[in-house]
Amino acid sequence: MIVLAAAALLIVAGLTSLAGKLIVRRLPPNQAVPLLTGLALTVALCTGIALSAMAVLAWAQLGPMPRLGHWSAPELREHAGFPVGVGLAASVVVGAALLAAGWRVVRSARALWGAARAARALTPVAGDLVLIDEDVPTAYAVAGWQGRIVVSHSMLAALPAGERQVVLAHEAAHLRYRHHLYRHVAALSAAANPLLRGAESAIALGIERWADEAAAAEVHDRRVTARGVARAALAQAGRPAALVGLGMAAQAGLGMADSIVAERVRALQRPAPTGRWLAPALGVGVAAACWLIAAAVTWRANELIQFAESVVARH
Amino acid sequence: MASRSARSRGALEREIIALLAAAGRPVTPADVRAELPGDLAYTTVMTTLSRLHAKGAIERTQQGRAYAYSLTGGAETARVNVTAHQMLKLLDRDSDRAAVLARFVGDLQPDDEALLADLLQQRPKP
Repeated sequence: MIVLAAAALLIVAGLTSLAGKLIVRRLPPNQAVPLLTGLALTVALCTGIALSAMAVLAWAQLGPMPRLGHWSAPELREHAGFPVGVGLAASVVVGAALLAAGWRVVRSARALWGAARAARALTPVAGDLVLIDEDVPTAYAVAGWQGRIVVSHSMLAALPAGERQVVLAHEAAHLRYRHHLYRHVAALSAAANPLLRGAESAIALGIERWADEAAAAEVHDRRVTARGVARAALAQAGRPAALVGLGMAAQAGLGMADSIVAERVRALQRPAPTGRWLAPALGVGVAAACWLIAAAVTWRANELIQFAESVVARH
Repeated sequence: MASRSARSRGALEREIIALLAAAGRPVTPADVRAELPGDLAYTTVMTTLSRLHAKGAIERTQQGRAYAYSLTGGAETARVNVTAHQMLKLLDRDSDRAAVLARFVGDLQPDDEALLADLLQQRPKP
C-alpha cells in the first residue's frame, strides 16, 4: 500500500509537469500560476513524506534498530509490503532530495542577498524607476525589500509611448504580485523532485503571461501590448524591426518557434483567457488527494511499527 | 465605467519619467498629454509633474507661457547606476535558476525574429 502511494505521488509529479503548459495556456495566468505553484510544492512535500515513511520502515528492520526500538523485524518485513532494498533506495532518494533542496535554498538566498545589496546602489529617478545608460536595450525588475524597475535609455528610445507603458506596467506587475516568490517555490520544488522540472518552466512562462495580461489590462489594448513585447525583444536582440527581412516573416506561419517570447506574443493576439472553475477545482482536488495519501502513509507506517512492538511485548 | 486613462499614480509617474528620458529635450504638459496614451486630464498631468518637481526628480524652465520639464541630472545618475546594473547582470547569470532579475524579454531564438517582425509589419486595424 505504501509503495503504491509513493508511486502514485511520483506519477502525479510527472503529470503536473506534463499538464503545466496546458494549465498556463488555458487558465487566466493569475489563476494558473498560484495553482501550479501550490500543486508543485504539495507534490514535492508529499512525495518526500511517502518516501521517508518507506525509508523509516526499512531502516527499522536493520542492525540494532529492532532491539533499540523493541519491535519485531520479521513482523515489519512481512507487513511492510516491500523489500528492505526498496526502502533503502527510498532513503537514498530522500537524502538526495533534501541535499538538492538545501543547496537550492542556499543558492537562492545568496543570490537574493547579493541582488538586494546591488539594488541598494541603484538610484531611482522617482519612486521605483531606475534609468541606466546601456547600449543594449534592457528592462527588468529586481524584487527585494524595495523593488526596483530598471530600464535603459536605449530601450525607452526604441519604443513609442504606448509600448513604453507596456514595459513599465509589465515590470510593475512582477513587483506588485511578488512573482519572484512563485519562481523560488517552483525552483525549490523542482530541485527536490526533478519530475517537477516541467512544472517549473510552465510557472516561469505563466509569470510572464501574468505580467503581460496585467499590462494589457492597464493599456486597454492587447495589440499594443503584443507589439511592445515584440519590439522590445527585437531591440534587445539588436534587430530593429525594420531590418528583419520579409523573407523571414514568411516562415513565421510554420509556427516552429516555441520560446517564451513567441508564446507570449501569440497569447496576446488571442482574447484574454476567461476564468473557469473546473480546472482550478481539479487542481485543488489533486493537491488535497496528495495530502490525504501522505497522511495515510504516515498513519500506516506508524501502525506497522506499533504492531511490531506489540508482537515483541507479547513474548 | 473606468476611463481609458485609469492607471495608478506610480504608473503615471513612471510613464512621464520615461517620456522625459526618451524625449531628450524639455517637454511641456501639452506634449505629455499628446504623447501618453489614454485621455489624460490636464490637471492630472499638471499634478503629477508638480509632484515629481517637488521631489526633485525633474526640473522646469519657462518656455513661452508654460513651463517645460526635463529630468534632473538624469544622465549623471544613469551613468552611476550602470555599476550596480553590471553587478546584477553578473549575479543573474551566475545564480542558475534563482532568477534574480525579472527581465522583460529573454533571449530570442532565430525563428522568433521572423514571427515578431511579421507582427510589427501588420497594419494596425483602424
